[in-house]
Amino acid sequence: MKTFEIKDLNLWYGDFHALKDIDMDIRNNKVSAFIGPSGCGKSTFLRVLNRMNDLIDGTKITGQVLFNGQEIYAPESDVVTLRTKVGMVFQKPNPFPMSVYDNVAYGLRVQGIKNKAVLNDTVEDSLKKAALWEEVKDRLSDNALQLSGGQQQRLCIARAIALSPEVILMDEPTSALDPIATGKIEELMESLKKDYTIAIVTLSMQQAARISDYTAFFLLGDLIEMGPTREVFHKPNDKRTEDYITGRFG
Amino acid sequence: MTRKRRIYDGILNALTYLSSGIAVIILVMVLQFVFVRGWSGVNFDLLSKPYWSGNNTIEFPQFKTGAFDRPDHLGDDIAFSEKLGIGLSDGLDAYKEHQVVVEYLDPESPLHHGVVSTAGVDLGKELGLSEGSNIVNLMLKDTDDKIVNVGAQRKSTAEETVAAMDNISEMRKIYFKTEGGGINGSLKATLYLIGLSLVIALPIGIAAAIYLNEYAKANRVTNAMRSSIELLSGVPSIIFGLMGVSVLFPITQLMGIHTVSIILGALTMAVVLLPLIIRQTEESLKVVPIDLRYASLSLGATQTQTIFKVILPSALPGILTATLLSISRIIGESAALIYTMGTFIADRPRLDQGATTLAVQIWSLMSGEQPNFELSSTISIIILLIVLALNVSVKLISYRINKKWSVS
Ligand SMILES: Nc1ncnc2c1ncn2[C@@H]1O[C@H](COP(=O)(O)OP(=O)(O)OP(=O)(O)O)[C@@H](O)[C@H]1O
Ligand SMILES: [Mg+2]
Repeated sequence: MKTFEIKDLNLWYGDFHALKDIDMDIRNNKVSAFIGPSGCGKSTFLRVLNRMNDLIDGTKITGQVLFNGQEIYAPESDVVTLRTKVGMVFQKPNPFPMSVYDNVAYGLRVQGIKNKAVLNDTVEDSLKKAALWEEVKDRLSDNALQLSGGQQQRLCIARAIALSPEVILMDEPTSALDPIATGKIEELMESLKKDYTIAIVTLSMQQAARISDYTAFFLLGDLIEMGPTREVFHKPNDKRTEDYITGRFG
Repeated sequence: MTRKRRIYDGILNALTYLSSGIAVIILVMVLQFVFVRGWSGVNFDLLSKPYWSGNNTIEFPQFKTGAFDRPDHLGDDIAFSEKLGIGLSDGLDAYKEHQVVVEYLDPESPLHHGVVSTAGVDLGKELGLSEGSNIVNLMLKDTDDKIVNVGAQRKSTAEETVAAMDNISEMRKIYFKTEGGGINGSLKATLYLIGLSLVIALPIGIAAAIYLNEYAKANRVTNAMRSSIELLSGVPSIIFGLMGVSVLFPITQLMGIHTVSIILGALTMAVVLLPLIIRQTEESLKVVPIDLRYASLSLGATQTQTIFKVILPSALPGILTATLLSISRIIGESAALIYTMGTFIADRPRLDQGATTLAVQIWSLMSGEQPNFELSSTISIIILLIVLALNVSVKLISYRINKKWSVS
């Protein structure tokens, strides 16, 4: 099962060619990790998948991006609907300066859902799935900015989950967190895998090795190789992948 | 070389200290001038009193005397009539003329129930004597059926007037002047002007800021808009006054207003305030972290929803700051209002008529033949206090904004 099929994808920021001829499949209910040196286009590629690059002036994109077989860059494709199905968690926790409850309910409310019972259930359910419920169940009306960084990041995950997306994109979700908070989020990803397809950008080889089923290695806008994580780490097809991985490990 | 440098530094330092010293001294002198002149006049009565004193003659169709007890709090210098329940004192008006001042009026006193007897629109209307008024002439029939006239015009003292009152059989007429010299009218006009200007300028200004910051592409049109906003905020306000008269006056004429009016003033002030509101709001929109926009959009919100649900609420303290600064600006404005609202101090301001704000009342008071320094200074103190309060609030708000965004 392929959630995303990407063919011949090219992306330019103005004149800068940031992604070059990318072909990739992203399998459902698996964790795919994107690794590569800084500036190689991992975040850019992730933002292709929920069309967040649309917000950057001067981006040009060619090729095919199929989500469940549908071209998401087709003129008739609705970006708002796409983003409810493909959620995103950012590098720096970015809760809204509102209550914990309002943060989680936000996505539903902008859909026009006002039913109190539905909202209550979804908020509780999402916070439970994000392994945050026990910590915040008595503080639902507190401002989310009062939570710790790790709690804020799990809140952001809960906020994305509340929309029942099919895919969750995560751009270095643990890089602003300490090892304990990082551990919690990694555990969380393991449990989310059965319900969601996850794509994660990470700078940590260990993290990619620990949590992902597939790994893709990017270099200067090229996708060098993608395969099952064990294979990519233990017998990479490309010399450059091996150099990067061993360089980091050694 | 080092010696030369030391002398040079010394001179520069001395100049710096001297200049800042002069600045402080000037500030203290201004404040002292205003406070010494005006402080004695600051009281709450001032806020509720009209500016113009009124002339009234009233009669009493059903007149009945009563029996009143002198209240304990009246001072020894106040003469009290037990039949009419009124306390009088001797006073001087602004021109040092003798006055018989009503200091106290019992709530049950028959003098509350008079009717206007001078010809005019008010003829027959109920009007009672009021505290603070000056009794110019009071005509009554005494117990010997003799007509007696007392009051300031007859040079009667408070004592004599009360003596006549306690010997009354029938009240004929009272000619009295209500107290003036207040700022009630200007205060109301200022509030009307603030309200109306903000109602016009805030929505337009906020919408323009949202457009500039959220929607506008960086092209020549937006650049031109920004430069003209910059330019507008540097234009002296007298020019806005002229613009009000020449450009906006025809608009109020369409509304059927053919004189200067508070509406015209508010339209003019709205133009004055727009650059301030747009810039302040834009600043506060800019500091809302871009992450929040991304978060909202990634959750399937439209751009409009993102603006109204996330960005505007986060920018609210900044918008509040803009509002307070606008109020400050309106209170301090005079040049733009002299042309558009006129300089006649109206005790009962109406939106479709001219009136003065507090600042313009000062202008009116000082530009007459007998400049009224005392009242002007008192009004100045009131303006200073209001502006001070507004500035402190702005400081507090911006302190809280900084705190908020540095936590996250
Ligand atoms: N908004 C933008 N405008 C222009 N160029 C951009 C923009 N965003 C990214 N780039 C460029 O595109 C390239 C890829 O950037 P991207 O952020 O995708 O890298 P990355 O692999 O995520 O790096 P990192 O690991 O440091 O986050 C970089 O060279 C970057 O300079
Ligand atoms: Mg990145």
